[in-house]
Amino acid sequence: MKVAFVGKGGAGKSAIAGTFARALARRGTAVLAVDSDPLPGLALSIGLESDEAPIPDDAVVERQQGEEGPRFRLRPGLEAAEAVERYAVTGPDGVRFLQFGKAREGGPQLFRSQLAFLQIVRKLPTESWNVIGDLPGGTRQAFTGWGSFAETVLIVVEPTAQSMLSGRRLARMAELDEGPQRVVAVVSKAREPGDAELVSRRTGLEVVATIPWDEALADAERKGLAPIDAAPHCPAVEAVQSLTDVLVEEMVR
Amino acid sequence: MKLAVVGKGGSGKTTTSSVIARTMARQGKSVVALDCDSNPNLGISLGIGDEETERLVSMRQALDEGEEEHASTWDKVIDRYGSDGPDGVRLAVVSRIDNPEPG
Repeated sequence: MKVAFVGKGGAGKSAIAGTFARALARRGTAVLAVDSDPLPGLALSIGLESDEAPIPDDAVVERQQGEEGPRFRLRPGLEAAEAVERYAVTGPDGVRFLQFGKAREGGPQLFRSQLAFLQIVRKLPTESWNVIGDLPGGTRQAFTGWGSFAETVLIVVEPTAQSMLSGRRLARMAELDEGPQRVVAVVSKAREPGDAELVSRRTGLEVVATIPWDEALADAERKGLAPIDAAPHCPAVEAVQSLTDVLVEEMVR
Repeated sequence: MKLAVVGKGGSGKTTTSSVIARTMARQGKSVVALDCDSNPNLGISLGIGDEETERLVSMRQALDEGEEEHASTWDKVIDRYGSDGPDGVRLAVVSRIDNPEPG
Protein backbone atom coordinates (compact mmCIF):
# COMPACT_ATOMS: atom_id res chain seq x y z
CA MET A 1 0.00 0.00 0.00
CA LYS A 2 0.99 3.60 -0.44
CA VAL A 3 -0.54 6.01 2.04
CA ALA A 4 0.10 9.63 3.01
CA PHE A 5 -0.78 11.24 6.31
CA VAL A 6 -1.79 14.90 5.99
CA GLY A 7 -3.50 17.38 8.30
CA LYS A 8 -3.12 20.59 10.22
CA GLY A 9 0.14 21.13 12.08
CA GLY A 10 0.19 19.44 15.45
CA ALA A 11 -2.69 17.08 14.71
CA GLY A 12 -0.50 14.05 15.42
CA LYS A 13 0.51 13.00 11.90
CA SER A 14 4.09 11.98 12.72
CA ALA A 15 3.21 10.04 15.87
CA ILE A 16 0.48 8.16 14.01
CA ALA A 17 2.52 7.64 10.82
CA GLY A 18 5.58 6.40 12.75
CA THR A 19 3.52 3.97 14.81
CA PHE A 20 1.63 2.84 11.70
CA ALA A 21 4.91 2.14 9.87
CA ARG A 22 6.27 0.09 12.77
CA ALA A 23 3.04 -1.89 13.18
CA LEU A 24 2.98 -2.65 9.46
CA ALA A 25 6.63 -3.75 9.45
CA ARG A 26 5.91 -6.18 12.31
CA ARG A 27 3.60 -8.03 9.94
CA GLY A 28 6.69 -8.90 7.94
CA THR A 29 6.18 -6.63 4.95
CA ALA A 30 8.71 -4.19 3.52
CA VAL A 31 7.99 -0.66 4.74
CA LEU A 32 9.47 2.59 3.53
CA ALA A 33 8.58 5.55 5.74
CA VAL A 34 9.15 8.91 4.12
CA ASP A 35 9.24 12.33 5.70
CA SER A 36 8.74 15.22 3.31
CA ASP A 37 8.70 17.83 6.07
CA PRO A 38 11.72 20.14 5.82
CA LEU A 39 11.46 20.32 9.62
CA PRO A 40 11.54 16.57 10.14
CA GLY A 41 9.88 14.76 13.03
CA LEU A 42 8.90 11.33 11.73
CA ALA A 43 12.28 9.74 12.54
CA LEU A 44 11.71 10.21 16.28
CA SER A 45 8.26 8.63 16.13
CA ILE A 46 9.71 5.58 14.36
CA GLY A 47 12.48 5.31 16.94
CA LEU A 48 15.43 6.26 14.76
CA GLU A 49 18.26 8.01 16.51
CA SER A 50 19.14 10.12 13.50
CA ASP A 51 17.05 11.60 10.73
CA GLU A 52 20.03 11.76 8.38
CA ALA A 53 18.90 9.80 5.34
CA PRO A 54 19.71 12.07 2.42
CA ILE A 55 19.76 11.22 -1.25
CA PRO A 56 23.35 11.91 -2.40
CA ASP A 57 24.12 14.29 -5.25
CA ASP A 58 25.53 11.59 -7.50
CA ALA A 59 22.18 9.77 -7.50
CA VAL A 60 20.63 12.68 -9.38
CA VAL A 61 21.20 14.07 -12.85
CA GLU A 62 19.96 17.27 -14.41
CA ARG A 63 17.60 17.17 -17.38
CA GLN A 64 19.44 17.52 -20.68
CA GLN A 65 18.39 20.00 -23.30
CA GLY A 66 15.50 18.66 -25.36
CA GLU A 67 14.37 16.25 -22.65
CA GLU A 68 10.92 16.44 -21.12
CA GLY A 69 9.94 16.20 -17.48
CA PRO A 70 11.24 17.58 -14.21
CA ARG A 71 14.58 19.38 -14.03
CA PHE A 72 16.22 16.71 -11.90
CA ARG A 73 15.80 12.96 -12.04
CA LEU A 74 17.32 9.78 -10.70
CA ARG A 75 20.51 8.77 -12.48
CA PRO A 76 19.61 6.60 -15.51
CA GLY A 77 19.75 2.93 -14.57
CA LEU A 78 19.12 3.60 -10.89
CA GLU A 79 15.77 1.97 -10.09
CA ALA A 80 13.61 3.25 -7.23
CA ALA A 81 13.95 -0.02 -5.29
CA GLU A 82 17.73 0.08 -5.63
CA ALA A 83 17.81 3.70 -4.47
CA VAL A 84 15.87 2.70 -1.35
CA GLU A 85 18.27 -0.19 -0.64
CA ARG A 86 21.21 2.14 -1.00
CA TYR A 87 20.10 5.34 0.65
CA ALA A 88 17.29 4.61 3.12
CA VAL A 89 18.43 3.97 6.70
CA THR A 90 17.09 0.97 8.60
CA GLY A 91 15.15 1.50 11.81
CA PRO A 92 13.50 -0.73 14.42
CA ASP A 93 11.39 -3.64 13.08
CA GLY A 94 13.23 -3.16 9.77
CA VAL A 95 11.40 0.02 8.79
CA ARG A 96 13.37 1.82 6.10
CA PHE A 97 13.42 5.60 6.27
CA LEU A 98 14.13 8.29 3.71
CA GLN A 99 14.18 12.04 4.27
CA PHE A 100 13.61 14.43 1.44
CA GLY A 101 15.94 17.22 2.41
CA LYS A 102 16.00 19.70 5.20
CA ALA A 103 15.21 23.39 5.16
CA ARG A 104 18.66 24.35 6.42
CA GLU A 105 20.27 22.92 3.28
CA GLY A 106 18.20 25.26 1.15
CA GLY A 107 18.64 26.26 -2.47
CA PRO A 108 19.20 24.12 -5.58
CA GLN A 109 20.76 21.20 -3.64
CA LEU A 110 17.53 20.77 -1.72
CA PHE A 111 15.39 20.93 -4.85
CA ARG A 112 17.61 18.31 -6.48
CA SER A 113 17.12 15.75 -3.73
CA GLN A 114 13.42 16.57 -3.38
CA LEU A 115 12.64 15.75 -7.02
CA ALA A 116 14.62 12.51 -6.78
CA PHE A 117 12.75 11.68 -3.59
CA LEU A 118 9.39 12.19 -5.29
CA GLN A 119 10.44 9.93 -8.16
CA ILE A 120 11.50 7.18 -5.77
CA VAL A 121 8.23 7.16 -3.83
CA ARG A 122 6.12 7.33 -6.98
CA LYS A 123 7.94 4.57 -8.85
CA LEU A 124 8.57 2.13 -6.01
CA PRO A 125 6.46 -0.96 -6.89
CA THR A 126 3.49 -1.51 -4.55
CA GLU A 127 3.75 -5.29 -4.96
CA SER A 128 6.94 -5.39 -2.95
CA TRP A 129 6.85 -2.20 -0.92
CA ASN A 130 4.56 -0.30 1.42
CA VAL A 131 5.16 3.44 1.44
CA ILE A 132 4.06 5.49 4.44
CA GLY A 133 4.35 9.24 3.92
CA ASP A 134 4.24 12.01 6.48
CA LEU A 135 3.53 15.37 4.84
CA PRO A 136 4.15 18.72 6.55
CA GLY A 137 1.21 20.34 8.31
CA GLY A 138 -1.20 22.39 6.22
CA THR A 139 -2.32 22.31 2.62
CA ARG A 140 0.69 23.46 0.58
CA GLN A 141 2.43 20.12 -0.17
CA ALA A 142 -0.88 18.29 -0.36
CA PHE A 143 -2.07 20.50 -3.22
CA THR A 144 1.27 20.84 -5.03
CA GLY A 145 1.93 17.23 -5.91
CA TRP A 146 4.02 15.97 -2.99
CA GLY A 147 1.37 13.49 -1.92
CA SER A 148 0.82 12.19 -5.46
CA PHE A 149 2.46 8.83 -4.71
CA ALA A 150 -0.33 7.82 -2.33
CA GLU A 151 -3.36 5.72 -3.30
CA THR A 152 -4.93 6.47 0.06
CA VAL A 153 -4.72 9.80 1.83
CA LEU A 154 -5.38 9.76 5.57
CA ILE A 155 -6.34 13.18 6.89
CA VAL A 156 -5.50 13.44 10.57
CA VAL A 157 -8.07 15.65 12.26
CA GLU A 158 -8.37 16.82 15.85
CA PRO A 159 -11.84 17.71 17.09
CA THR A 160 -11.04 21.45 17.03
CA ALA A 161 -12.55 24.10 14.74
CA GLN A 162 -9.14 24.84 13.18
CA SER A 163 -8.21 21.23 12.55
CA MET A 164 -11.65 20.39 11.13
CA LEU A 165 -11.51 23.41 8.79
CA SER A 166 -8.12 22.15 7.56
CA GLY A 167 -9.63 18.69 7.18
CA ARG A 168 -12.47 20.07 5.08
CA ARG A 169 -9.99 21.85 2.79
CA LEU A 170 -7.75 18.77 2.51
CA ALA A 171 -10.77 16.63 1.63
CA ARG A 172 -10.66 18.36 -1.76
CA MET A 173 -7.50 16.35 -2.55
CA ALA A 174 -10.01 13.81 -3.89
CA GLU A 175 -10.62 16.23 -6.79
CA LEU A 176 -6.93 16.46 -7.77
CA ASP A 177 -5.82 15.29 -11.21
CA GLU A 178 -3.90 12.06 -10.60
CA GLY A 179 -5.13 12.34 -7.05
CA PRO A 180 -5.58 9.58 -4.51
CA GLN A 181 -8.18 6.85 -5.01
CA ARG A 182 -9.39 7.31 -1.49
CA VAL A 183 -9.44 10.18 1.02
CA VAL A 184 -10.52 9.40 4.57
CA ALA A 185 -10.20 10.85 8.07
CA VAL A 186 -8.37 9.62 11.16
CA VAL A 187 -9.64 11.36 14.28
CA SER A 188 -6.80 12.28 16.60
CA LYS A 189 -6.81 13.27 20.30
CA ALA A 190 -10.48 12.31 20.70
CA ARG A 191 -11.78 13.07 24.18
CA GLU A 192 -15.55 12.87 23.84
CA PRO A 193 -17.74 10.00 22.61
CA GLY A 194 -19.17 12.24 19.85
CA ASP A 195 -15.82 13.37 18.44
CA ALA A 196 -15.72 10.93 15.51
CA GLU A 197 -19.24 11.88 14.45
CA LEU A 198 -18.39 15.58 14.78
CA VAL A 199 -15.27 15.24 12.60
CA SER A 200 -17.17 13.23 10.01
CA ARG A 201 -19.97 15.80 9.85
CA ARG A 202 -17.68 18.84 9.68
CA THR A 203 -15.23 17.45 7.12
CA GLY A 204 -17.63 15.32 5.06
CA LEU A 205 -15.15 12.44 5.33
CA GLU A 206 -15.48 8.81 6.29
CA VAL A 207 -13.69 8.19 9.61
CA VAL A 208 -11.58 5.01 9.46
CA ALA A 209 -10.05 5.25 12.94
CA THR A 210 -10.39 7.22 16.15
CA ILE A 211 -7.20 7.68 18.16
CA PRO A 212 -8.04 8.72 21.73
CA TRP A 213 -6.26 11.50 23.59
CA ASP A 214 -3.58 9.63 25.50
CA GLU A 215 -1.24 11.07 28.12
CA ALA A 216 1.19 8.16 27.56
CA LEU A 217 1.55 9.13 23.90
CA ALA A 218 1.99 12.78 24.82
CA ASP A 219 4.71 11.76 27.27
CA ALA A 220 6.51 9.73 24.59
CA GLU A 221 6.47 12.80 22.33
CA ARG A 222 7.77 14.99 25.14
CA LYS A 223 10.73 12.63 25.54
CA GLY A 224 11.29 12.21 21.79
CA LEU A 225 10.61 8.46 21.93
CA ALA A 226 8.70 6.23 19.53
CA PRO A 227 5.22 5.72 21.03
CA ILE A 228 5.26 2.02 20.09
CA ASP A 229 8.40 1.55 22.23
CA ALA A 230 7.65 3.94 25.08
CA ALA A 231 3.99 2.99 25.57
CA PRO A 232 3.29 -0.15 23.51
CA HIS A 233 -0.03 -0.94 25.18
CA CYS A 234 -1.47 2.55 25.56
CA PRO A 235 -4.90 3.12 23.99
CA ALA A 236 -3.59 5.48 21.28
CA VAL A 237 -0.94 3.02 20.06
CA GLU A 238 -3.47 0.20 20.09
CA ALA A 239 -5.87 2.31 18.04
CA VAL A 240 -3.15 2.94 15.42
CA GLN A 241 -2.41 -0.80 15.33
CA SER A 242 -6.10 -1.45 14.66
CA LEU A 243 -5.99 1.11 11.83
CA THR A 244 -3.07 -0.83 10.34
CA ASP A 245 -5.11 -4.05 10.55
CA VAL A 246 -8.11 -2.41 8.88
CA LEU A 247 -6.08 -1.10 5.94
CA VAL A 248 -4.18 -4.37 5.47
CA GLU A 249 -7.43 -6.35 5.46
CA GLU A 250 -8.99 -3.94 2.95
CA MET A 251 -5.96 -4.40 0.74
CA VAL A 252 -6.29 -8.18 0.84
CA ARG A 253 -9.95 -7.90 -0.19
CA MET B 1 5.29 47.70 16.04
CA LYS B 2 5.44 44.75 13.65
CA LEU B 3 5.52 41.27 15.11
CA ALA B 4 5.86 37.89 13.41
CA VAL B 5 5.03 34.67 15.26
CA VAL B 6 6.76 31.54 13.96
CA GLY B 7 7.28 27.93 15.12
CA LYS B 8 6.56 24.29 14.40
CA GLY B 9 3.06 23.25 13.33
CA GLY B 10 0.64 22.86 16.20
CA SER B 11 2.84 24.64 18.73
CA GLY B 12 0.35 27.47 19.23
CA LYS B 13 1.37 30.23 16.80
CA THR B 14 -2.17 31.09 15.76
CA THR B 15 -3.56 31.12 19.29
CA THR B 16 -0.65 33.26 20.52
CA SER B 17 -1.01 35.72 17.63
CA SER B 18 -4.73 36.09 18.13
CA VAL B 19 -4.44 36.88 21.84
CA ILE B 20 -1.66 39.42 21.19
CA ALA B 21 -3.76 41.08 18.46
CA ARG B 22 -6.93 41.25 20.57
CA THR B 23 -5.04 42.50 23.64
CA MET B 24 -3.32 45.27 21.70
CA ALA B 25 -6.60 46.29 20.07
CA ARG B 26 -8.21 46.54 23.51
CA GLN B 27 -5.45 48.93 24.50
CA GLY B 28 -6.69 51.20 21.72
CA LYS B 29 -4.04 50.39 19.15
CA SER B 30 -4.87 49.96 15.51
CA VAL B 31 -4.12 46.31 14.69
CA VAL B 32 -3.88 44.40 11.41
CA ALA B 33 -3.64 40.65 11.89
CA LEU B 34 -2.01 39.05 8.83
CA ASP B 35 -2.53 35.36 8.34
CA CYS B 36 0.54 34.24 6.38
CA ASP B 37 -0.28 30.52 6.61
CA SER B 38 -1.23 28.94 3.27
CA ASN B 39 -3.82 27.01 5.31
CA PRO B 40 -5.25 30.08 7.04
CA ASN B 41 -7.28 29.77 10.24
CA LEU B 42 -6.31 32.80 12.31
CA GLY B 43 -9.90 34.02 11.88
CA ILE B 44 -11.22 31.22 14.06
CA SER B 45 -8.86 32.11 16.93
CA LEU B 46 -9.64 35.82 16.58
CA GLY B 47 -13.31 34.99 16.96
CA ILE B 48 -14.83 35.71 13.53
CA GLY B 49 -16.04 32.11 13.14
CA ASP B 50 -15.10 29.45 10.63
CA GLU B 51 -17.60 30.43 7.95
CA GLU B 52 -16.23 33.97 7.69
CA THR B 53 -12.68 32.59 7.89
CA GLU B 54 -13.45 30.35 4.94
CA ARG B 55 -15.13 33.18 3.00
CA LEU B 56 -12.16 35.57 3.14
CA VAL B 57 -10.44 36.03 -0.20
CA SER B 58 -6.67 35.94 0.05
CA MET B 59 -4.82 39.04 -1.12
CA ARG B 60 -2.65 37.01 -3.48
CA GLN B 61 -5.75 35.51 -5.08
CA ALA B 62 -7.30 38.98 -5.46
CA LEU B 63 -4.15 40.39 -7.06
CA ASP B 64 -3.63 37.35 -9.32
CA GLU B 65 -7.17 37.56 -10.60
CA GLY B 66 -6.69 41.22 -11.38
CA GLU B 67 -9.42 42.34 -9.04
CA GLU B 68 -7.07 44.97 -7.67
CA GLU B 69 -5.14 47.55 -9.71
CA HIS B 70 -1.43 46.91 -9.70
CA ALA B 71 -0.68 50.33 -8.21
CA SER B 72 -3.02 49.87 -5.28
CA THR B 73 -1.52 50.32 -1.84
CA TRP B 74 -1.46 47.63 0.83
CA ASP B 75 -3.78 49.83 2.92
CA LYS B 76 -6.38 49.65 0.18
CA VAL B 77 -5.93 45.93 -0.32
CA ILE B 78 -6.38 45.29 3.39
CA ASP B 79 -9.41 47.61 3.47
CA ARG B 80 -11.01 45.80 0.62
CA TYR B 81 -10.21 42.16 1.32
CA GLY B 82 -9.82 42.18 5.07
CA SER B 83 -12.51 41.49 7.60
CA ASP B 84 -13.29 43.19 10.91
CA GLY B 85 -12.97 41.01 13.96
CA PRO B 86 -13.83 41.58 17.62
CA ASP B 87 -12.14 44.54 19.38
CA GLY B 88 -11.64 46.10 15.93
CA VAL B 89 -8.81 43.82 14.81
CA ARG B 90 -8.60 43.90 11.00
CA LEU B 91 -7.81 40.46 9.59
CA ALA B 92 -6.29 39.86 6.16
CA VAL B 93 -5.17 36.60 4.55
CA VAL B 94 -2.01 36.63 2.42
CA SER B 95 -2.38 33.46 0.39
CA ARG B 96 -4.28 30.21 0.36
CA ILE B 97 -3.36 26.87 -1.20
CA ASP B 98 -6.21 24.38 -1.32
CA ASN B 99 -7.42 24.49 -4.88
CA PRO B 100 -7.36 21.13 -6.65
CA GLU B 101 -7.53 22.81 -10.09
CA PRO B 102 -4.03 23.16 -11.57
CA GLY B 103 -2.70 26.67 -12.20
